[in-house]
Amino acid sequence: MRSEPVLGERGPFADGRALKLPVVEARSLVKSYGVGRAARRVLDGVELRVEPGELLAVIGRSGSGKSTLLHLLGGLDRADEGSIRVAGVALEEQTQAGLTTLRRESVGFVFQSFHLLPELTGLENVLLPARLAGDGVGAIARARALIASLGLDEAAQRLPDTLSGGEQQRLAIARALVNEPVLVLADEPTGNLDVESAAVVLDLLRGIAGGGRSVVLVTHDREATAQADRVIELRDGRVL
Amino acid sequence: MSALLRYALARVVARRGRALLTAGGIAAAAAMLGAGTTVGYSLATGFDRAADRAGLPHAIARFDSLPLDEVRRRALSLPNVETASFRLEQQGVHVHSEGNFNDHGKLQGIRGGRRGYAIVAGRDVRARGELVIERGLEREWGVELGDVVDLREFRSSVSLRVVGVAVSPDNVAFPLTNGPRLYADYDDVRELEGEAPGAVNVALLWVQDTELLDVTLAQARAASFGIDELTFVTRDGIRALINQAAGIVIALLVAFSLVAVGAAVTMLSAASAADVQRRLPSIGVLRTLGATPRAVAVGNALEAALVALPAGLVGIVAGALAVYGPTGRLLDALSELGPGVALVLPLAGCLLGLVAIVAFAAGWPAWRAASRPPVATLGGADIVQVPRRAVFGGGTVGLGVRLALSRPARAAGTIAVLASAAAVVLLMLALAALLQRLETDPGTVGKRYRLTVAAPAEEVARIERVPGIAGAAVRYETPAADSFSLGETFQVIGFDGDHVEFEAPPLAAGRRLARDDEVEVGLGLAQALNLSPGATLAAQLPSGREVRFRVSGVVRALENEGRIAYVRAARLVAAEPFLPVRIAILIAPGATKESVAQRLSSSGYFPEPVAGVTVRSGGFLDVLAALLRSLAGVIGLVCLYVLAQMLALTAQERRRTIAVLQTLGAGRRQVAAVLSGSALVVAVIGAGAGIVLERFLVGPAAASLAASYVSLPLVAGAAQAALVTVALVVLALVAAAWVGGSAARRPIVAGLREE
Repeated sequence: MRSEPVLGERGPFADGRALKLPVVEARSLVKSYGVGRAARRVLDGVELRVEPGELLAVIGRSGSGKSTLLHLLGGLDRADEGSIRVAGVALEEQTQAGLTTLRRESVGFVFQSFHLLPELTGLENVLLPARLAGDGVGAIARARALIASLGLDEAAQRLPDTLSGGEQQRLAIARALVNEPVLVLADEPTGNLDVESAAVVLDLLRGIAGGGRSVVLVTHDREATAQADRVIELRDGRVL
Repeated sequence: MSALLRYALARVVARRGRALLTAGGIAAAAAMLGAGTTVGYSLATGFDRAADRAGLPHAIARFDSLPLDEVRRRALSLPNVETASFRLEQQGVHVHSEGNFNDHGKLQGIRGGRRGYAIVAGRDVRARGELVIERGLEREWGVELGDVVDLREFRSSVSLRVVGVAVSPDNVAFPLTNGPRLYADYDDVRELEGEAPGAVNVALLWVQDTELLDVTLAQARAASFGIDELTFVTRDGIRALINQAAGIVIALLVAFSLVAVGAAVTMLSAASAADVQRRLPSIGVLRTLGATPRAVAVGNALEAALVALPAGLVGIVAGALAVYGPTGRLLDALSELGPGVALVLPLAGCLLGLVAIVAFAAGWPAWRAASRPPVATLGGADIVQVPRRAVFGGGTVGLGVRLALSRPARAAGTIAVLASAAAVVLLMLALAALLQRLETDPGTVGKRYRLTVAAPAEEVARIERVPGIAGAAVRYETPAADSFSLGETFQVIGFDGDHVEFEAPPLAAGRRLARDDEVEVGLGLAQALNLSPGATLAAQLPSGREVRFRVSGVVRALENEGRIAYVRAARLVAAEPFLPVRIAILIAPGATKESVAQRLSSSGYFPEPVAGVTVRSGGFLDVLAALLRSLAGVIGLVCLYVLAQMLALTAQERRRTIAVLQTLGAGRRQVAAVLSGSALVVAVIGAGAGIVLERFLVGPAAASLAASYVSLPLVAGAAQAALVTVALVVLALVAAAWVGGSAARRPIVAGLREE
């Protein structure tokens, strides 16, 4: 199933506006974990720039810092050194409340384990970011349209544990898009899916980028890199 | 064992935050336990303690004054009497000291022999001019040793110096009684009263065999020829009277303490189970390394005990201290003594029991987990339960509701505690309201007349013609004793005509009286004498004459603890022709008590308003209110803890959910909103369950416990129910804000990695 047109039409830049600034601009990022002899520099001077409408794939071995980079870009964690600007906002200057607002308005997340809340139905999961932003009522039509465009009308009425992995991940993508963010961060989104479902999810992400949003995709999947506009590799905390 | 202990200690130190949270919970439950034990033990043993220390007599006889030699001869000739003391008592003495005065003082002239009161400050009376006062007077008026108290009786007066303070549990204390008890030298009292030398009117009797006390009193009655106005009060009768009020408080506290401990165990078990679930891989490693299930369980139990011992000690001591002062004042009001160091033993027992329960609650899930194959435990497990269906809305608050309901056992445990706390608080509020009504509203005790006047029976027709009066009837009242058991005293009330129109406690059995030889007895009297419709009541009147009635019905009367008998006046007056007469007056619809009283006054009468239960309960209510306030503080603390503990467990277990929410843009307020949904659902259900519990179970049970002889309306009103519900909702929101703030500060990335 291809659904790029719908996703693209709902993108923030579908009206033809041109964003001159990059969506993501990271400079000299350093992040370490642990103390003493256990200390490890996970990111060591990473430089990164993601343009509007670009699908960037980040690859690397386990422990190379891919997920850490994603967490820093999404404001889930803070870098030890360096600077990050997302949609023009300098993350290092933001308070926790500022980072929360950024995540709510400008960033969408897609995880390997889906992270749908088991107590909420598919529709309620999709609506959750909008409700957190105080836009629960207004977002219903948007959420229903997203769900319909993904062919999830029936699944949206059910609790996640009764859905297939592919259905859950597509719902997670719809959730990431409901607030119409400029940036989607996807951490191994196909890691728990079969080949067919993985292909559908990758098509969706490609479509999101085609609609004007930027997508940063962390993956081990070679198929995924084939869909990307650009691929970078992380090794020992550096971009090769 | 030392290796286990070291491992347990290391785990406590390594996880200080979680250990502190657990310790806080144990301390809160322990505080409730300590408070409940302190109040319960103090009140349950207070009377016996005071009676033993005071050497309270087994029976007290009062009579018109007689020469000492004659009374002593008759008393000591009774076979079972071990010893006796004799006093001259004067009631209604005007007492004045330091700007305070009272016209109902009970002054006792002390001769040799046993005293029947305990000196708690200063010393006893040794010479003329000295006075011992009861502790209630010392507290109420601030009288101190060395102060002078003026006593006046008709035209005589005397000034005595206070040399001691005494406690005697033969009655509740001033100001709960209308006048203070005072003890002075016999000759001071005799001169004040103008009595002949050697005259006495009170005999304190101590018997050898208390089982034969009834027989002894019957013999005393038989040997009382020539002694007028003889009445007896026994130690058991005094105990029953004084413990009426304390019984409710004890039952409430014991019940709530048990529920609080049960809830604490539920919460600790849930916390332990969650902890064990989280630690399954490390338990698997321990098992792989050769640890037995017993060793794993003992290690966990030891760890819990290490936390529970200091936390329980702090909580129990804090709870005991919180209520010790108010309990002491309540005991003072009841003329009883506090337990002092004797309280240490039951509190130590509570501490040991609490530690054992906590250790078991921690060890049991560990033992169950360790009993599984190591391969199964090494893999760990997701501790998140999957709900069966979606209920409530899907917003932040609705999500919180679903999180709470996905753990039904924990939610039920929390609801049980909140419901019992709500029920106890509602009962306290209902009790306070009832006590107020009993004091001020005669309708509460079945009295329909609002005024009485002392006037001859012939005046009834004239009084009835006063505007605003719907009816009037002659009412007689006299004390009496059962002819077969003279220690059982009661009040006989006689009306000219039908008493139901004027005074009608509800019927519990049988029917209303219809003839002059029939009687309606109160349930308290029926229980004491084993009376039922058709039985015979043989009443011995103050004159010594006996009059018999056939029981037609049993009524739920509150006055005089239900030891009451309603008859038609004819037979009563025939046996006691000089009974004092009062005219009971019904107010007509549209008229007010005040307007009718004014008209009666202008007609030359002295009307008196009718109260409810004729006790001075204002002071007692104040004391009880202070105690309940202390308890309410502890109960509120327990509720807050239970809610916070539930939310902390939820936040701990659902750390990933909270992290996902934060990833999606939830700030601290939204996380708190989610947890407020969890807290509100249990708080609201708990409040509702508490209201139902109080209305249909706790209230009726407490009413029955307090006074089985009467139907007490111990049901909280809508305003009280709303107050308790709002209080629980506020506590829920406070707990949610507290835990939510803490949960939102944790690293998001670590939460996302939680499984």
